[in-house]
Amino acid sequence: MARLTADEKIQPHWWIKTISGTVLGLSLAYAIVAIFAWYGPGGISAPIKVQFNMWLITPIWLLVLSLTYLFKTGLKAIIYLCSANAVFYSIFLFLRWLS
Amino acid sequence: MKIRGDILRTYQTIHTWTGIVTGLVLFIGFYAGSLSMFEEEISQWATPSSHQLAQIPAEKFDELILKASSNFDKAQQDFTVNFTDHLSPLIWSEGGGGRGLQLEHVIRHATLSEQGELITQAHLTNELGDLIDTLHRTAGIAGKIGHEDIGVIVLGIAAMLYFIALVSGIIFLLPTLVKSFFALRTNKGANRFWLDSHNLVGIISLPFHFIIAITVVVFAFHDAFYGGLSLAYGDEPLFEQGEKSKIEHTVDQLPPIANYLKKVDELTEGYTVESMAFSGLSSSRPSVGITIINHQAMMRNSTGDFIYMNPYNFEVSFSSVKMNEEDVYTPLVASFFSLHFGGYAGDLGRWLYFIMGLLGAFLFYSGNLLWLEKRRQKQAVQTKPNRFMACLTVGVCLGSILAVVSTLLASKWFYLIGVQVNNHYLACYYVTFFAALIYTFTRGAAKSAIHILYAMGIACLLIPLTTLLTIAIPSIGLWEFKPFPSFIIEFVALVFSAVFYYGALKTKHRAYHGESNSIWALPVIKVSENISDKALSSA
Repeated sequence: MARLTADEKIQPHWWIKTISGTVLGLSLAYAIVAIFAWYGPGGISAPIKVQFNMWLITPIWLLVLSLTYLFKTGLKAIIYLCSANAVFYSIFLFLRWLS
Repeated sequence: MKIRGDILRTYQTIHTWTGIVTGLVLFIGFYAGSLSMFEEEISQWATPSSHQLAQIPAEKFDELILKASSNFDKAQQDFTVNFTDHLSPLIWSEGGGGRGLQLEHVIRHATLSEQGELITQAHLTNELGDLIDTLHRTAGIAGKIGHEDIGVIVLGIAAMLYFIALVSGIIFLLPTLVKSFFALRTNKGANRFWLDSHNLVGIISLPFHFIIAITVVVFAFHDAFYGGLSLAYGDEPLFEQGEKSKIEHTVDQLPPIANYLKKVDELTEGYTVESMAFSGLSSSRPSVGITIINHQAMMRNSTGDFIYMNPYNFEVSFSSVKMNEEDVYTPLVASFFSLHFGGYAGDLGRWLYFIMGLLGAFLFYSGNLLWLEKRRQKQAVQTKPNRFMACLTVGVCLGSILAVVSTLLASKWFYLIGVQVNNHYLACYYVTFFAALIYTFTRGAAKSAIHILYAMGIACLLIPLTTLLTIAIPSIGLWEFKPFPSFIIEFVALVFSAVFYYGALKTKHRAYHGESNSIWALPVIKVSENISDKALSSA
């Protein structure tokens, strides 16, 4: 493996990555769970499904948060996570608008 | 497997800091969680057997409920029916109950004599098992914000960091995983041994740790999660509102107990009814919570599954077992709880969870030790932050265990001298814990680790000796002699007594014969020349 220059290495940016992973990771988890809640098996009103949906939030959220540190800079973390949020919320709103 | 060096270093830093920040509270959460697997057994062990009244045949329960509710006003609204042999057939609250810790809760036990006369007696409940469970959920951090325990919130945040620590631990272990997974190098110094065992325990119990991390976050923040989820639901209600019943009933209209048992048989397969808790019988929302057990099934809790229904028309309002074929989400949700509480695989599963919990505690303790080792300097007196962290690790971890063991030991003595047991449990825990912590900071980590381990060993040894005493002097009359299974707690205490004693010896050896430039080293004062020479040559 070629040696990486200082620019190519991951920058720590602890605070900005942690905060964006926590906030944007949570909103991303909600977007994914919202799609599952309405369009996953059983639809929105299946009994006890609300509990299952609530359980889904945490693993998605924490996985996103844990992997946020892989972004090279804090700014990239924000940009990518915001885009992912935009994509999933658009899908959700589009599906809601269709039905 | 090759991973870029900067990624490894990033995640190593994350692992180190999330670990050191959360290690102490998680240590308490884990070992107390191990004990809480046997929460009910511990409470039963601590409760004098004279408190429980004799069980009655199944067909006599209706007569008992009728007689109790006509003689005692308090037994008309809420009461619990037990079918287990060693518990009173009927109990109800006399006051001091409610949510949270119930230190002053008095319940009345009732049974029928052979002639059919009502016999009752009131006792303070024993909350030892619940207190251990509370310690498990809060790490002993007291106080509330609103109706949430501060300790639960702290552990919830700690669990998030712990999840990150798990992910980062895997990432930076991956390159060396195959090479050193089962390597337990004892010949490369204590540091390497601790690291190898830390990695080994972490990897083999990884699924368990992920489950615990996720469930703890959910347990701590579910209210907030539902709040956010309601936005996604829009106008759809999150939960169906149970309808108020228009007709109000009273206890004398209650169907016979046999009907409930029949109903449970229809609804489930292979389950037996353990107890039934009736509540609000003459209110507009009457309910009965039926605890059912099937050791062959994946139960929601290690203590069983439950069905809630209206006691007058048998309408099921909530159940932790599947009620019909379309219901896919009930068993899924129940399995999350079950995986946290160890409600599958019966007693074997509970013992496995007991061991996994202790291994988890070991993971955090060894993690802290590794942190200290890594920052070690080649000088006799280590830096101030290191000494502080060493004291905190020893004081909190060992101090908390000593406090719990002392409380278990004191339990029978509290009954013998006749004090309010629950308040004294709490006092005993905190006094011992803080005494140990202060002792550690005044005497230093190296010396106090040895002393506290000795104290733990002695306290554990005294638990079975106390039981022997209550058997040897039957005139005390609080506990009757019971056959073997009830001595399991004494046996486990004896095993741990030996473990702690061995730990003390090892710690002592490290202090006097281990590396001298260490936080654990103590100056050798009275060791004769040739012993220390021998130690040097063997080291």
